[in-house]
Amino acid sequence: MSDQKKDDEIYPIAVLVEELKNEDVQLRLNSLRQISTIAQAVGQERTRSELIPFLNDATDDEDEVLLVLADELGNLVEFVGGGEYAHTILPPLTTLASVEETVVREKTVEAIKKISKEMGEDQIQEFLYPVLKQLATGKWFTSRSSACGLFSICYQNVDEETKTELRQLFSDLCKDPTPMVRRSAAKGLAVLVPYVGRENLRKELIPLFVKLAEDDQDRVRLLAVDNCVALSKILTEDEFITYVIPTLKSCAKDRSWRVRYMVAERFCQLSEPIEPEVTKNDLVEVFIGLLKDNEEEVRTCATLRIAELCGQIRVYQDVIKDAILPVIEELSKDFSDNVKIALAASVTELAPIIGKEMTVEKLVPLYLDLLKEDISDVKLNIISKLDTVTQVITIEVLASTLLPVVVELFEDRQWRVRNAVIEYIPKLAIQLGVQFFDEKLTDLTMSWLKDSVFKIRQTAARNLVKLTKVFGSDWCMEHLLPHIFKLLEEPNYKIKQTGMYSLTVLAPELGNEIVTEKILPKIKNLKSDKVANVKLYLAKTLKSLLPYLEENTIQQEVKPCLNELAKDEDPDVKHFATSALNKIS
Amino acid sequence: MDIDKVIEVLSKCQTPSEYEIKQLCNKAIEILIEEANVLRIVPPVTICGDIHGQFFDLVELFDLGGSPFETNYLFMGDFVDRGYYSLETFLYLLALKVKNPRRISILRGNHECRQITKVYGFYLECVKKYGNGNVWRYCTEVFDHLSLTALIGNSIFSVHGGLSPSIKTINQISLINRKQELPHEGPMSDMLWSDPESIQNWGMSPRGAGFIFGNEVVKNFNRTNGLSLITRAHQLCMDGFQYMFDESLVTVWSAPNYFYRSGNIAAILEIGENLTRQFKTFKAAPKEKRIVKVKMSIPKYFL
Repeated sequence: MSDQKKDDEIYPIAVLVEELKNEDVQLRLNSLRQISTIAQAVGQERTRSELIPFLNDATDDEDEVLLVLADELGNLVEFVGGGEYAHTILPPLTTLASVEETVVREKTVEAIKKISKEMGEDQIQEFLYPVLKQLATGKWFTSRSSACGLFSICYQNVDEETKTELRQLFSDLCKDPTPMVRRSAAKGLAVLVPYVGRENLRKELIPLFVKLAEDDQDRVRLLAVDNCVALSKILTEDEFITYVIPTLKSCAKDRSWRVRYMVAERFCQLSEPIEPEVTKNDLVEVFIGLLKDNEEEVRTCATLRIAELCGQIRVYQDVIKDAILPVIEELSKDFSDNVKIALAASVTELAPIIGKEMTVEKLVPLYLDLLKEDISDVKLNIISKLDTVTQVITIEVLASTLLPVVVELFEDRQWRVRNAVIEYIPKLAIQLGVQFFDEKLTDLTMSWLKDSVFKIRQTAARNLVKLTKVFGSDWCMEHLLPHIFKLLEEPNYKIKQTGMYSLTVLAPELGNEIVTEKILPKIKNLKSDKVANVKLYLAKTLKSLLPYLEENTIQQEVKPCLNELAKDEDPDVKHFATSALNKIS
Repeated sequence: MDIDKVIEVLSKCQTPSEYEIKQLCNKAIEILIEEANVLRIVPPVTICGDIHGQFFDLVELFDLGGSPFETNYLFMGDFVDRGYYSLETFLYLLALKVKNPRRISILRGNHECRQITKVYGFYLECVKKYGNGNVWRYCTEVFDHLSLTALIGNSIFSVHGGLSPSIKTINQISLINRKQELPHEGPMSDMLWSDPESIQNWGMSPRGAGFIFGNEVVKNFNRTNGLSLITRAHQLCMDGFQYMFDESLVTVWSAPNYFYRSGNIAAILEIGENLTRQFKTFKAAPKEKRIVKVKMSIPKYFL
């Protein structure tokens, strides 16, 4: 190979070398991101013999740069010649696995796992295992911590003798003097569980799991919960009761709230794979303990999962009734707002699980209490799911029990609560029927169109459309239109705009005749309003109504009106009027 | 520059490109340069106080008061500093001004200047989001062109801070050359820094700029200029707004839970066609509404 050609091929690496000496971090980062391109340019052999060794020396840099380096190294397998040579990328990664910054180490472990996927069993035995051993017995806790992440991928691909050694190494790491290493080991345990076989699981891993669950660092203990979840998927019923449940019970009574919180967080994931009977016998009492916990965070977390848990044991209705419902009643009097908000969220979902009779007897009084709370999120959570409840208890019961309280919320101080009630009304309307709606709810519904909050007025207008779809356009004409026309005469320009907006959204439901004969004359009156905003909105409204008007109406009635508006001195009025006129021609 | 596209991007609390911002600022200056030191506004109009970069609370304000395309708004300054989204907030209002110049009016606050924004967060935010100070420079150019005061229907006077001992009549304000960096003293500085106080006349301000002024001063000013009300911002109000001096002056504050820690509510003042007054209050936007999708732009490098 001539010197010239050789230079050409090394040149990109020389450029990289230069760039990685640059002071500016951004430039170093940019050039690292191009490693794949460089590797492709220089070819597989030179990548292995020159690029990778060079990168091995580039591992003394800022954490930001090292993060990118680890990431890019994980992508190099195809450029070194495929799985056969993947192990050549291991040296720089091994160095990176020992750095101080956790984020970089984690990325490195990910990268090692990524390239190991391309390696065959022989390579893993020959190259990855020594790396793991080196890291696991390393002097610094950082390398030992990284080693924990590599066990699962290594274990699957080595021979029996090596497997035994790996288990011994792992056992040592679980007993490491440094808490950070024990943490990584606890994390690694869950991943390793599926691969070690039942016998080793029972004899070696489970004792390690129990020991880590008794660690004096709470950050290590809380990882035991995740390990419980992993074990619940693998063990038999009896094994689970014997080996896991005692540990779980002590975690649920741990002196550190973080551990107890973890139990609450993962509870339903834990109970899902096991038989409802086991759940009923052993886990329900643990759950109730969490619902009564001293720490607000734990109670809140557990409360959010009430419905899901009851769903899992729904065959045991009496357990729900005797054990769980009384606790729920206590929770509704909890002094913490967050607990009550969580309760409001999960207690509506309980209704379909316990059936009509129980809901009416036990849950409806609870909903009533919660709806009277002064916390808007509580009320919001109940109202937004009220539909679920209605389907269970039937409308007659709803009307006599909950409806009066819901009606009070029409005028709640918090606008988001009012908004939720408005969204709920059409669903009520379908079930209540026209008669009931007219008597009690029409006036209140119309008053929302004059609400002081803009968003509410918009939602209320769109609500009218939903109601018209249920009750028909005749009903709308008779009961709604007169009120809307009155809005057009209100002094406040924003209410006039709401009136026009309501008519715009109702137009498709009402049909051309009503639009032409009833609506158009009323809104045209606004063309001489003194406020420019009314006039510009009128121009917009006329443009939206064009599809519902006959051609001669447009020419004789609408066009002259728009021409007048187009001469207004306000530029926005002119703009919208002109835009409408353009649509006509 | 496609103004509708820029508004669309900003309405999601995202930032347009540096080039688009430059064009937006240039276009805004073209409009603002024509405006007088005292804006003449025909009621109805909704008056708002300090926003201080609290973008999602500005969205709450629009949810309460109406869409800025259909409602008349007057903002009394202090759009930047302290909140996390000063840039998006200011540019959003600027874009709305460019799109509907007749619907929305913006005044200069004491934070709309180079010195203050270098200390209280706006400059840092620009550098963090764009890697350099160009965007900050474009914005401070716009600040120099913002109007100082407004007169609504000949009877309501609006300014960010308060009154100045050098200004007895509104006509005098027209003589000021406003297109400059905010001076340390003088009538322009006073109007953006002064505070009302329960005294009779003038006093030294603890802020180190502007003055404090009292009952007699306000009554005289209003009488001389035929005003029924002065509206201003500049000072935090726990209840969102605060009347003083027999309802002849009111402070309106529109940043709820100011600086994400004060626990106050905010207010807007709706002035009707016939100069009727209605205050509406609002709280900070709930957590679920405060989400921004961050776009990562990795600069490309060519071998």
